[in-house]
Amino acid sequence: MMSNAVSIIQELEAIALSPYKSVMRTMKETGKEAIGCFPIYAPEELIYAAGMLPVGMWGGDTELKLADRYLQTFCCSIMRSNIEYSMKGAYDMLKAVIIPTFCDTLKCICENWKVSAPRIPVIPMVYPQNRRIDAGFVYMTEELERVRGALEEISEKPITDAMLEDAFAVYEAYRSAMREFVSVAAEHPEMINARSRHLIIKAAYFSDKKAYTDKINKLTEALKKESVKPFPGIKVVATGLIAEPPALLDIFAKNNVAIAADDLAQESRQFRALSRKSGNVIQRLAWRIVDQQGCTFLYEVEKTRGQMLIEQVRNTGSKGVVVFMMKFCDPEEFDYPIYKEELERAGIPVLYLETEQQMDSFAQIETRVQSFAEMLA
Amino acid sequence: MYLGIDIGSTSTKAALIDGKANLVAQKVVNIGTGTNGLELVLAELLHEAGLTMEDVVYTVATGYGRLLCDVADKQITEISCHAKGVSYLVSGTGTIIDIGGQDSKVIRLDPLGRVANFAMNEKCAAGTGRFLEVMGRVLGCKLDELSDLAGASTREIQISSVCTVFAESEVISQLSMGTRREDVAKGALVSIAKRVAGLCKRVGVEPKVVMTGGVALNKNMVEAMSRELKEDVQAAPYTQAVGAIGAALFAMEAAEKKENNNG
Amino acid sequence: MDDDKKLTSKDFLNQLVAKHYEGALQAKAEGKPVVWATSICPQELLETMDLATVYPENHAAAIGARKGALEFIENAEGKGYSSDNCSYARVNLGYADIQKAEAQDIPMPDLLFCCSNICNTVIKWYENLSKTLQIPLILFDMPFNHTYEVPEHSIRYMRGQIEYAIGQLEDFTKRKFDYDKFGEVMELSNATCEWWKKATDWAKVIPSPLNGFDMFNYMAMIVCMRGNADGHRLFKMWHDELEAKAKAGLGPWNSAEEQYRVMWDGIACWPHLSTTFKALKKYGINMVTSTYPDSWNVRYEKNDLSGMAKAYASNYANRNLDYDEDNVVRLVKDFSLDGIVYHSNRSCKLMDFRQYEIQRRVEAATGIPSVVFDGDQTDPRAFSEAQYETRIQALVEMMEENKEARRKG
Repeated sequence: MMSNAVSIIQELEAIALSPYKSVMRTMKETGKEAIGCFPIYAPEELIYAAGMLPVGMWGGDTELKLADRYLQTFCCSIMRSNIEYSMKGAYDMLKAVIIPTFCDTLKCICENWKVSAPRIPVIPMVYPQNRRIDAGFVYMTEELERVRGALEEISEKPITDAMLEDAFAVYEAYRSAMREFVSVAAEHPEMINARSRHLIIKAAYFSDKKAYTDKINKLTEALKKESVKPFPGIKVVATGLIAEPPALLDIFAKNNVAIAADDLAQESRQFRALSRKSGNVIQRLAWRIVDQQGCTFLYEVEKTRGQMLIEQVRNTGSKGVVVFMMKFCDPEEFDYPIYKEELERAGIPVLYLETEQQMDSFAQIETRVQSFAEMLA
Repeated sequence: MYLGIDIGSTSTKAALIDGKANLVAQKVVNIGTGTNGLELVLAELLHEAGLTMEDVVYTVATGYGRLLCDVADKQITEISCHAKGVSYLVSGTGTIIDIGGQDSKVIRLDPLGRVANFAMNEKCAAGTGRFLEVMGRVLGCKLDELSDLAGASTREIQISSVCTVFAESEVISQLSMGTRREDVAKGALVSIAKRVAGLCKRVGVEPKVVMTGGVALNKNMVEAMSRELKEDVQAAPYTQAVGAIGAALFAMEAAEKKENNNG
Repeated sequence: MDDDKKLTSKDFLNQLVAKHYEGALQAKAEGKPVVWATSICPQELLETMDLATVYPENHAAAIGARKGALEFIENAEGKGYSSDNCSYARVNLGYADIQKAEAQDIPMPDLLFCCSNICNTVIKWYENLSKTLQIPLILFDMPFNHTYEVPEHSIRYMRGQIEYAIGQLEDFTKRKFDYDKFGEVMELSNATCEWWKKATDWAKVIPSPLNGFDMFNYMAMIVCMRGNADGHRLFKMWHDELEAKAKAGLGPWNSAEEQYRVMWDGIACWPHLSTTFKALKKYGINMVTSTYPDSWNVRYEKNDLSGMAKAYASNYANRNLDYDEDNVVRLVKDFSLDGIVYHSNRSCKLMDFRQYEIQRRVEAATGIPSVVFDGDQTDPRAFSEAQYETRIQALVEMMEENKEARRKG
């Protein structure tokens, strides 16, 4: 059983570590064409329903040279990387990209993309911030229908309601599998360390969701059969946009700091909200965004994120919160002072790590992580 | 004997304590990680104490070079070691400020002298010793001369740029406009103090505030820091060796724990 | 009305600034609610409800121009705000904590009114104010326009939000919304905006009677007074003065001649306003326009809510690259520009991250030279005088070369 789990872990890690190769292989295996999905939320179900492959585009560690044509250095490194890749031709296998405009940078990226990668059509998408009032909800369904129409044009065939139902079911199975995986993984930090956890979750972005879900379910089953062992390190909750680069997470593994739960945009925010059962698929997709809480990219006057993190810490027996702050990510940076204060008031220690996708030295981060572990031990 | 070694980016420090936590010796050499600084400092330290490595029961390394230090039994971060060292040297310390060559850090201690929270500067060189080095270069003086220079300042000038490159050009144009070097030196110290004060606000300042590291030898820097924080700030005794002393204390604890476990 | 004749628009402007802030402080003292609002929001609703309103962006700019920003910026950064966040936000969030500024005080708000046609950053900023101060927030979310024109379903969404906001305002004030008054306010706002636009259009004349840095000053009032009679009178008065100056052939300054005409892209560097102005004037460069005259040219038919929604969504910052390109190219032609100064403003990612592409396109379409310099709207730490000077001088050299070539034919 153990070896079964290890081989699935290794397979998923390998997928996540080589996005390009993985996407090419999945395209070949499934015979599907691929559509790129920019952060934070793209309506992947619509793409899947169109018989195409949604691919996550969360940047990567590439040397930034060409992107300077469009972007100043104080632009978030994920977006600089994506523009760099687009200009290098790394995305030429994509049939189109969907760029939702959750922040000011994404609005500009969407516009620049039209010039930086003219061969790959862009489908811009706006998620309404006032999504909890009627006018906003209607607008969101209209945007989803517009994107559905754009995808029909690209795939040159209609996306029927039945196809949408099937795709939604695939994604519901995926999301439920993920929720179970993260909760079971938290019990087994000796097998699923910070780095593995991230890579396993990330692999979904370059896989066919159905096949990926099967693998995750098998892994979860294998983990459940393992006995729960005492963990010599500490558990923490991770928050932020993205916990990368992987070398950063190696430091966590090395210092026996395990991630027991996360609020990362690239990870749990993708699957933590439960779907409603009523309405058609377009409406259910819209409800998912309406019901998403504590996400900095979606307007929320109550700002429930701090309270949510406090509960996550308490529910998982974690000792602190680690903030993976993607430098120059305005929305994430604006949330930080608010939840930081709430966490401190609740007596929960916070480790703040500023990250970029191009990091040359990890020495200071290593000191911080080790100090945090020493402080909590 | 218990040995603490602190290998920083620009200097290497070592300290020895005995079984009753008495400081036996401490030494500093001004070359850092990647050099023979460790050999030099150990030779000087042992010579002064009249001891050899045979007498050392346990060794803890800290600082940037800690992970590459193979004589150590254990590596502990400079955050924990500074906290340990300062609590030992200055009882009742609430906040530690360490302006290092690459990093500046602020550590808040709980009433038992343990780390309650800490913050470090981000990637940018503003607010670190590196900024002072650049300023020193523009003013044509060594780092340790900067303090005396600032001491002779008669007029407050502001260096407003955060970016080191911008600050450099700001200072050059100040000098070309005839601003005195002394006043520019003072401006540089105040600029760093402002950045570090910002870091302090992130963790919250508790008195007593103690400064450690080589920059704390700079009296005018300590004073500028005190003015920015509106708190008394004092330099720690053995200010450069605080991390090494903390490491030595950890070495003693670790050895005792090991002994208890074995016994 | 002899007094009135002597009153210049500049005097009147200064009176109105004082009246604006005193009025708001007075309202607060009398126990009336105060609103904080973003700069290009549908203020018609607030004016109709007769709510005392102040504009944090104006306030932050004023603090910045009087060199007081750092205290508030440092306070906000101490709370964990990043030095990379918008400096208007940092100044205001710092002020919300300190609540005292030597430059100018404003009353603390009871209601927040936020419109995202200028950026999404204001949503985060106002969310934080709402959470920290525990007061309600009315949000107008204006989707970014990726198409050249504003799409119909976006207009419906925005109209729906205006209608919803009216209900929120009725709940907040416990008063009925007066639609007749609303109509009057709409009419007056449109008229004021028209005078603002007509006034700034006088800069098309050569030499321009308008010194563009003056426009930065008047801008504060088009933000906060376009829905009332004072604002209307101010901009009409300013317009008439500029008209008279233009007809008399007078240029922007008494002490120098206008040699070159440029556009300034982006917000002013408030803490270095005089440095940035003097470096231009030294070479006879007059900043004759920017994207701002159009930003507050918010025009629509009276009582047409959809038209109003569309007008607010049409702000330059909320438009796609093709529109922005055409807009700047039009300015180059209409204002006979010799060059463009692009402010790469650390605070404003929405403007910055399209600037390079716009610069290339405008250069290709018009052949006029331009420079980009690094700065910030209110953070004094992100500007280098030496860099600015050098780049302006380089611009002059390029503009001179162009003129030389034209002279030679």
